[in-house]
Amino acid sequence: MTEAMTLETWIGIGVAIVAFWGIASWAMIRTLRQEEQKTAILDEQRRMDTYSPKALSELREWIQANPDDPYVGDAKRKYNECVENLRETDQRFYDWSDAEVERHDPL
Amino acid sequence: MATEAKTARDEWGTRFGFLMAMIGAMVGVGNIWRFPFVTGENGGGAFILAFLVLLFLLAVPGLMAEVALGRYTGKGVIGSIRECVGTGGLVGLGLVVVLVNFALMTYYAPVVGWTLYYMLHSFLFTFTATGFDAGGFLDAFFANPTAMIAMHTVVMSIVAGVLLLGIKDGVERLVVFAVPALVIALAAIAIRAVTLPGAGEGLAFTFTVQWEYLTFSDTWIAALGQALFSTGLGWGIAITVGSYLRDYDDVPLGGGVFTAIGEASIGILAAFAIFPLVFAYGLDPAGGAGLAFVSLVQAFPEMPGGGLWAILFFSGFFLAAITSAIVITEVLITTIHEETRLSRGRTVLAVCGLIWLFGLPSAYSVEFLDFVDLVFANWGLPLATLCIIIAIGWFFGPERLRLLSVNQNAGIYVGSWWNPIVKYVIPIVMVFIMAFFAWENLGEDIMIAGMAVLVAFPVVGYLVMRYIDGRERPPEPAGAAGGDD
Repeated sequence: MTEAMTLETWIGIGVAIVAFWGIASWAMIRTLRQEEQKTAILDEQRRMDTYSPKALSELREWIQANPDDPYVGDAKRKYNECVENLRETDQRFYDWSDAEVERHDPL
Repeated sequence: MATEAKTARDEWGTRFGFLMAMIGAMVGVGNIWRFPFVTGENGGGAFILAFLVLLFLLAVPGLMAEVALGRYTGKGVIGSIRECVGTGGLVGLGLVVVLVNFALMTYYAPVVGWTLYYMLHSFLFTFTATGFDAGGFLDAFFANPTAMIAMHTVVMSIVAGVLLLGIKDGVERLVVFAVPALVIALAAIAIRAVTLPGAGEGLAFTFTVQWEYLTFSDTWIAALGQALFSTGLGWGIAITVGSYLRDYDDVPLGGGVFTAIGEASIGILAAFAIFPLVFAYGLDPAGGAGLAFVSLVQAFPEMPGGGLWAILFFSGFFLAAITSAIVITEVLITTIHEETRLSRGRTVLAVCGLIWLFGLPSAYSVEFLDFVDLVFANWGLPLATLCIIIAIGWFFGPERLRLLSVNQNAGIYVGSWWNPIVKYVIPIVMVFIMAFFAWENLGEDIMIAGMAVLVAFPVVGYLVMRYIDGRERPPEPAGAAGGDD
């Protein structure tokens, strides 16, 4: 098998395996583990944080910058749901510090 | 129109079920016979690098957008597009997607029938029988309309049977076994293939990095076509599959990264499985679809235990084809069930019956099938992608979607870099692709037919939805266009 295999061939094979199967395996394992984590949290407390700190801050900024947007009501509902869940639960899915939680009030 | 009386919407039972449904839908026959050859023809590893870049640049963000819209609206294609554009004629963008999927299924179902025919014959050990002639066998099949139509009928019966059972009990229950079985079959063949004498030639053909190819426009156009078409971006599949996600499910990691890269990984695995075989037995690597149905069939009698390898290969090939057919048909079922008063069961029977009926010409004539395939692959599918991406990028607005759905419960954070890709880059690329295909086929029959699709489908979609929405729904404006300004 090796007679036709050059360094460039091995590089191509290596890139193909790592870049495709490596990334796909990583993504699948990560998302399935996150699913387990979410299920455990929901079994324990029936609700959980729905946004990461960065994503929730962006959502708040967008709501404040677009008060007349037709989707602002839905955005506020999602924001408030996450803030309430953060305040009323102990286990969190995302890495929230207490200080970060304190910075968010319901809108 | 959708009635309130309809039962609660189904959901994926497991995260694994959702992931396998996405992969099952996107991995089709093209991954097995087309990807390895296109890779080898366009610089091997250089093509793979270009393909990977375009997957991350276009397919991953595009799939995230589709899945996120489906999860946000909890509706099929037409309902999701209506959420973007408001009621009225512009909902026709969704009808265009539905029509394109219907047309796609009318010629894809007969192709699935070919794989079924070959799988059945593999179990009869036809391919390893003394005096077997691969070319003559395929010609005899194509010249036998009764057999072709019978296979088409069986395929549509299987599709209908699975869809009648619903999302969780039908589609999910099948894909969680079928997709891993496909991977195992290809992996087993790959292990056998790379250990054959002369297999290195095949690996060298497919994977040797020829850096100069990265400077050729043909390499990038081939990679672009592969990245867009093999991932099923903009066909409504991701909207539909995403619409059955649960509230706490992630979108970008599973629906975007895993789907695009995982789907491409099956093509990489097929390259390891097929091209070492092709070169080890001195077959023609440029055989295209004939590679699977003629060239490879000639290799099995030469292999020790060839009959069993043939069963493994054609079973995998059939599973790749049938899972795509089922999920593509689900796109139609979901949206028509929601938009009419038909129950899901009646919708399945009506849609599958119509696909069977309109698929008869393609089942009868391979020439007709090839023509329709070229027209819809070159213009119909890019048109569908354009309709969905315009609805998301220019009506709903990528920033709104990113904040309201993409980053909600997300496994990875998606930044604002995503917005211009959805709003500008993907639509421009789709227009470029259609113009490129038109230029390549200037004045030919398929180009004229393609232009007819480009004009007729949007016009029909607009008029039909303006009439239906005008009659049955109060005017309802879209959100402020863009939403990301």
